[in-house]
Amino acid sequence: MLMEVKNQIKVNYLSFKYCIMREMLNKATFISNVLFMILNNSFMIVQWIVLYSLKDNVGGYTFKQVLLLWALASGVYGVAHLFFKKSFHLSEVINNGKLDAYIVQPKNILLSVITSDIEVSAIGDVLFSIIVFCVSGFTIKRFILFIIFIITGGLILTSVTVILNSLSFWFNNADMIADVGDSLMTSFSTYPDGIFKGLTKVLLFTLIPVGISNYIPVKVITEFNINLFVINIVVCIFLILLSNIIFYSGLKRYSSTNLMSARI
Amino acid sequence: MKIIEVNNLSKTFKVKIKEKGLKGSLKSIINPKYKIVNAVNNVSFSVDKGEIIAFIGPNGAGKSTTIKMMTSILYPDEGNIKILGLDPAKDRKKLAYEIGTVFGQKEQLWTHLTPYDNFKFFGAIYDIPEKAVEKKIEEFRVLFELDKFINTPVRNLSLGQRIICEIVASLIHEPKILFLDEPTIGLDPVVKENIRTLIKRMNKEYKTTIFLTSHDVGDIEKLCKRVIIINNGQLVLDDTMENLKYHYLNQKIVEAKMKEKVNLDDEVGITILKDKGYNLKIEVDTTKRSVADAIRLLNPDNIIDINISNVPLENIISDIYRNKE
Repeated sequence: MLMEVKNQIKVNYLSFKYCIMREMLNKATFISNVLFMILNNSFMIVQWIVLYSLKDNVGGYTFKQVLLLWALASGVYGVAHLFFKKSFHLSEVINNGKLDAYIVQPKNILLSVITSDIEVSAIGDVLFSIIVFCVSGFTIKRFILFIIFIITGGLILTSVTVILNSLSFWFNNADMIADVGDSLMTSFSTYPDGIFKGLTKVLLFTLIPVGISNYIPVKVITEFNINLFVINIVVCIFLILLSNIIFYSGLKRYSSTNLMSARI
Repeated sequence: MKIIEVNNLSKTFKVKIKEKGLKGSLKSIINPKYKIVNAVNNVSFSVDKGEIIAFIGPNGAGKSTTIKMMTSILYPDEGNIKILGLDPAKDRKKLAYEIGTVFGQKEQLWTHLTPYDNFKFFGAIYDIPEKAVEKKIEEFRVLFELDKFINTPVRNLSLGQRIICEIVASLIHEPKILFLDEPTIGLDPVVKENIRTLIKRMNKEYKTTIFLTSHDVGDIEKLCKRVIIINNGQLVLDDTMENLKYHYLNQKIVEAKMKEKVNLDDEVGITILKDKGYNLKIEVDTTKRSVADAIRLLNPDNIIDINISNVPLENIISDIYRNKE
């Protein structure tokens, strides 16, 4: 079992390494992708600087908490897109019969597929998140918690994406549902939860679990709360298991295709 | 020893029926209609260790669906499959270590990497220690003459070189069975011959059982001793190549260059395929008339040149496809 996990990690590492090697073939594009993403995210922060010059508090968040929220949002998005990019295109993989190559290999199908590509600009997101986190207030304890939360958040976002994209096993146009889901997760993650009320707030802690992946971490990093910390970890594990169950249930309905394809 | 056993295998697909045009699209949203397609219908066969099997049939016959069920990609609706005693639907990982697959239409190699790096990646997928992979690559480099392109990125290889690398990559873990789905598709005759040589070598050197689908009669004729023909999802023939030729070769093609014209219009057992005056091409049905008799009709003194040949295997297979439809 342990050996199996070790071998799986080795394959995922090689896959990641080869993707980075591919992206680095064009050095200029690689560097500009990373830098432009940092720049793009920085412009978003400017809006908040303007807003906080007019107000001290938005939705119960101080400016430093908003910076922390942005650091988490960017980190969560970056981790998910850097390491699990293909989960966001899983629908296309399923519909075009591209799962075949992974099924015939003696490795975890879902993990092999979703780690088979990377989003270079997501490196910019991760770097940006670390810079903004440092600005929001750096201590070792806060940083360790931050790293844990961008990992669990990345896994939560990936799991939700896998669940939505796996609907393609049942419906042809599930990619549209998945795209909407991903956009909602990303958009809501950059606003303080205090501005949302009623049903929206309930949705943010259930169907669109930004509350778990982003809002709870802001609270725990600001003021440590063991219960909220455990909720984040438990929900993360639950969603990973649920995404696996849904993907593998759907896999039984996989019909493959005879479309020509290449691994690029 | 049987290493593949397929019993009463069936697979159906539900396909949406859509009428033409925008109106048809709207109708299919409100009241979608489906039809059931029997892709594979009650197919049974077995394969012995070390055999090279041709699994053939026209487009849409169910070949790829059958192979996909044998390699864990699709789940069968009915029937059972045992590959090396394993059930592909239940023992996917275990089976993957024992088999190799090459789909001519789908590439598995990373295009920006060299074949060497790709082979190393495949080695990791099959948990082969680094040194053992390097040894294996060296062995393949010599055996399959990969020197010219082993260090060239796959994207810069010709289609033939790519397919050779795809096949070699699928051999890294020394599979006991190799499934080749149209490996020579789109290749020129010289490369096809190279691929056939490679397939023969791996069958000879590593005793790999080969399960081959191809539309290329050359592949079938030159590689396989046994043929399984499938059409409309059903098995229509499972026989040795020798028997196939023996039973279906009741016709001989006689091409003759004549001194004088001969009229064979109403002769029993003779079909005129081409009559260009002094050049005649006829098909002799040997169940009705011997070849010697046909030559007598032509009059040996009247013949300048003659060529007697079998009906091409391609025609035999096409006839089987048509007759069993």
